[in-house]
Amino acid sequence: MSRPKLGQSVRRSRWSHFTAQNVPSLLALLILIATLVFYAVLFSTSLGRLPGNFELTSTTNNAMPLVFSAVGQTIVFLSRGIDLSVGGMMDISNSLAATRMGGSPGSMVLWSIIILLVGAAGGLINGLLVALGRLQPILVTLATLSIFQGVAIKVLPQPGGKVPTGYTDFLTNPGHPWALIFIGLLVLFWLAFRRTAFGVAIYAVGNDEESARANGIRVVRTRVGAYVVGGMFAAAAGLFLAATTTSGDATAGDSYTLTSIAAAFLGGTTIFGGRGSALGSIAGALVLSILISVLFFAGINQLYEDFYQGLFLVLAVALSALVGYFLRRKK
Amino acid sequence: MTGADGTERSSPIIEAVGVSKSFGAVRALSEASFGAGAGEVHGLVGENGAGKSTLIKILSGVLRPDSGEIRVEGQRVELSSPQAAQALGIRTVFQELTLLPWMTVAENLLIRREPKGFGPLLRRREMSSRAEEMLASLGIENIDPLELVANLPLDQRQIVEIVRTVTREPKILFLDEPTSSLAMREVEWLFGLLNQMRGEGRCIVFTSHRWREVESVADRITIFRDGRHVETHAEIDEDHAVTLMTGRKVETMYPELPPADDEEVALEVRNLGGGSLSDISFSLHKGEILGVGGLEGQGQRDLFLALFGAGEKSEGDILIDGKPARIRNPNDAIRAKLGIALVPEDRKSEGLLLPMSVRDNLTLPVMKLFSAGGVIRSRREMRLVQQMVERLQIRLRGSEQAVATLSGGNQQKVLVGRWLLADSRILLLYDVTRGVDVATKHDIYELMLALISEGRSILFYSSDTEEVAHLSHRVLVMREGRINAELKGSEIDAESIVTAALREEDVPA
Amino acid sequence: MSGQRNGRLSSLPALRRLTPDRRRTLYAFAAAVLLFLIGALVRPGFIEPSSVKSILVVASFVGFVATGQAFVILIGGIDLSVPWVLNASAILLVTSSLGQDDRAAEAVLLCLGLGLLTGLVNGLGIVFLSVPAVVMTLGMNGIMQGLTLGLSKGFTCHACSSSSPAVVRDAITNNLLGVPADLYVWLGVVLLVTFALGFTTFGRRVYAVGNNERASYLAGVNVRLTTVVLYMLSGLFAAFTGIALVGYGGSPSLGIGDPYLFQSIAAVVIGGMSILGGRGSYLGVVAGSITLVALVSVLQAMNMPDYGRSIVYGVVVLLILLLYGREEREV
Ligand SMILES: Nc1ncnc2c1ncn2[C@@H]1O[C@H](COP(=O)(O)OP(=O)(O)O)[C@@H](O)[C@H]1O
Ligand SMILES: [Mg+2]
Repeated sequence: MSRPKLGQSVRRSRWSHFTAQNVPSLLALLILIATLVFYAVLFSTSLGRLPGNFELTSTTNNAMPLVFSAVGQTIVFLSRGIDLSVGGMMDISNSLAATRMGGSPGSMVLWSIIILLVGAAGGLINGLLVALGRLQPILVTLATLSIFQGVAIKVLPQPGGKVPTGYTDFLTNPGHPWALIFIGLLVLFWLAFRRTAFGVAIYAVGNDEESARANGIRVVRTRVGAYVVGGMFAAAAGLFLAATTTSGDATAGDSYTLTSIAAAFLGGTTIFGGRGSALGSIAGALVLSILISVLFFAGINQLYEDFYQGLFLVLAVALSALVGYFLRRKK
Repeated sequence: MTGADGTERSSPIIEAVGVSKSFGAVRALSEASFGAGAGEVHGLVGENGAGKSTLIKILSGVLRPDSGEIRVEGQRVELSSPQAAQALGIRTVFQELTLLPWMTVAENLLIRREPKGFGPLLRRREMSSRAEEMLASLGIENIDPLELVANLPLDQRQIVEIVRTVTREPKILFLDEPTSSLAMREVEWLFGLLNQMRGEGRCIVFTSHRWREVESVADRITIFRDGRHVETHAEIDEDHAVTLMTGRKVETMYPELPPADDEEVALEVRNLGGGSLSDISFSLHKGEILGVGGLEGQGQRDLFLALFGAGEKSEGDILIDGKPARIRNPNDAIRAKLGIALVPEDRKSEGLLLPMSVRDNLTLPVMKLFSAGGVIRSRREMRLVQQMVERLQIRLRGSEQAVATLSGGNQQKVLVGRWLLADSRILLLYDVTRGVDVATKHDIYELMLALISEGRSILFYSSDTEEVAHLSHRVLVMREGRINAELKGSEIDAESIVTAALREEDVPA
Repeated sequence: MSGQRNGRLSSLPALRRLTPDRRRTLYAFAAAVLLFLIGALVRPGFIEPSSVKSILVVASFVGFVATGQAFVILIGGIDLSVPWVLNASAILLVTSSLGQDDRAAEAVLLCLGLGLLTGLVNGLGIVFLSVPAVVMTLGMNGIMQGLTLGLSKGFTCHACSSSSPAVVRDAITNNLLGVPADLYVWLGVVLLVTFALGFTTFGRRVYAVGNNERASYLAGVNVRLTTVVLYMLSGLFAAFTGIALVGYGGSPSLGIGDPYLFQSIAAVVIGGMSILGGRGSYLGVVAGSITLVALVSVLQAMNMPDYGRSIVYGVVVLLILLLYGREEREV
């Protein structure tokens, strides 16, 4: 039986679809490049040479904790959640690393794994309360933030402790920008993660929970899973923080709750779920970190750091909204 | 019950026997029965709220019935989840689409059956070609698999939803109002597909509002009313079907429309454009009901919103009582000088503040009437509320009752009452009878007549063309954001409205 | 009251007759009373008037911030800029008045003006640049933090060592009929806000916008104006709390605003307001503030160490949420 056909063939190239669908992430990348260029110019005018190995190394190392916490935050964002307990989890991780880790490779590996599992457990608590307890993520993670902070202080009542030098050399080597390798691995991880059934499920749930359920996706499992992975990334961020600072402080992670959110937003991921990419967030985290160096070379007192980060965040998100608006207008 | 039609085919492949389902106080299905066989296309018709969607959801495992039995191939089954139903070969296109808007067409089509690659990884590259094949095999070439669903027009989204479902090898396929947003060609495409699937021995059940469509493709037709199975027929003419669906004869459904003889113009629109609208001009007289017809989604909604200051209007003029009016937002429109009111289509999301009280809902736009310096005078407010509740015979326990707990008809009355308190002279009624039971519909019609007898004017759109035909002094037929035709007096009937809606060329009346 | 432990409180016929809003307010007050009773068991002096008074004074500060937070939460928003608006106001008070009474009036107005201004910027950004409330106020928090730190040179400026003008201190700490003046101020705020939300067209609009923005707009409510005004009020109350805290403690410090972010949100939610907007009564927020502070006091009375307090605090908030934070689905 012959059936009527529908329509003419209209196809745009894969590339044009890709750019149109990733405007916010690409914008974050552009902002990153612009910031880098700006930084290089400022640096060379004030010091008369281009930034070298030392600058690259210290900037990368300082950015690592934010990069990892931002990726974790992004995964939670994508599932239409938010994780305010990131800072508390980083505190725990940081304190544990500074007090428990021994100098032998075995101890370092063992404790790294234990700490990541602690992160997963914290995320599991968040996820279960959100998905099964039907509580708002912002409230749940605000409460667990308090709990995690308490646990961290119990582990390490006074700032101190020591992270083995070998660990610092491995994660955030002060002499070489080897930490870039971890950023590279993170990018690979993300590209693979997006291609797993779990990754697809997170996007689907963030898009529309009811539709995802109708499509046979296990919504509760997926949402819990997002918090678990988010918690593990927060714990990893805490490890990097311990490695760069080489000692422990049970409150050192606190500021990362807000900066990880800022980085994810800068990277173009929305809290409304289902849209965005961790790659954008990595760019966002790098931008926020480099900004600090930019301020330094622009001769701005570092006390104004938060001012510029805040301003930058608001402007970037507003810019992204405007670009999106005009793109839609143009159609 | 199922056997009452005399055209019994082979025994039904899926059957509901004496199924009941209530949502709180609303009884969506009472002792309803239904059956459909393999190799047949079965039309399920009934008014809005008759329980069609509820039945389909129960047979798809989305809802659990309160009582009654479901049989598949003669065996009693428990459809405790959508997965359980799917395991039996049941596939469903629900009335509310279940697409994921910020994912691509390909991702939507292949969700949970993506091509597998290395280890746990899925092959994203391959997905677009797979999706392309899928669409092509069904004769669809105008949908780009790499496009985001959010960027597709409504009809194409509906098609993607249909494609996703029918490519999952249904034994029993339910389609709940699949054609409501489809254009004529697309309906033909769908019916071609259904015919082919019937040939393959599958069982297809679909609901639609358009009688002609149902008649053209269905082997048998089942009529539902008020949550019950009424009759199942292989042959039935339209008049009889409508009578069965509404429970009354067409003639007695609608009240007699008094003539509109006031020549005074209340609202005049000149060359209005912007958004989906272009070059719209008309005038609305005092004491007149001006119908707006046409297929769904031809700019009627934008027109209503634009007149109320809530839509895009980039050109043209609106005149009230002959004077140009500046309407930048609803607040401007509502103000006493203009006196325009909009009762929107979706009363739950656009009209009411569901958890708030009947009082709050009635008086929100008119708080000026009983407040001084921003302070509410409760007694004066209560008096106004009381009057309106009595006038419209809104049934409630007390004015503090949350409006969410009222029945649909009473909710609609609250929305109209709001504008009577505001003493609006021009009422924009947009599909106000959707999802309302027959008795309340009748009340609303009477109310409309009462309003025009007070000298108010009504612009009236309904997705039910019969309704527009019976309740309008004149009808503007819209097509692609323009006014395609204006019908008046004896020219008006459902048939001529549909004809005018389909006419390609511009025929100024 | 012991019924607090019972999750199915709402099945009691007497309680069922109440609206959900009133019921939750009642729970919140019951929780506060319960905590005072527990406190009395732990330490008999706990419910002596002097002890109760000092708990209430501390609760009033939470109550002030939570009032502003409640306004924005009622429309489904959130204000994360509270900590540093508060802190900036506290520091501005002493640096502009230099502790002198004749400059006090100006200084107070300046502080309140600052609060209104930050709220205005928040509101405008949210309404006109469509920046999500979380980002806008998060950015604003950074902006205020950076400005405060930068302008006060890390709180080392000359004027920074000033303390509160005596009149401001008196207005908070003086006793009137044996009750601290601050509590009269709180009472005034409570009466005013209860009146504004319950008996004015403004209050009606706030709840309307919180329940359904679109429907409110189509009923002629100026949604944008309402939103901006509410963020201004939130800024105002944060700034006011900064003044009150300086009056109470004598001098400001860096970071005094930090605890108030968590506490203000928790107080609002424990008080029975929905974080999604449109539901809850202001009296509940008052009760929520008292509950939170009473909880801390009880833990202190039990000589619980810092970390334990932080943990128990989080756990109790979660428990309260689980008890009645889930009635959301009820219409
Ligand atoms: N989830 C629900 N909650 C409350 N009432 C509902 C719900 N779903 C359907 N109803 C009510 O049940 C009745 C039947 O609805 P439905 O099955 O959608 O009818 P149809 O599809 O024939 O238009 C209507 O009165 C409708 O308002
Ligand atoms: Mg239906």
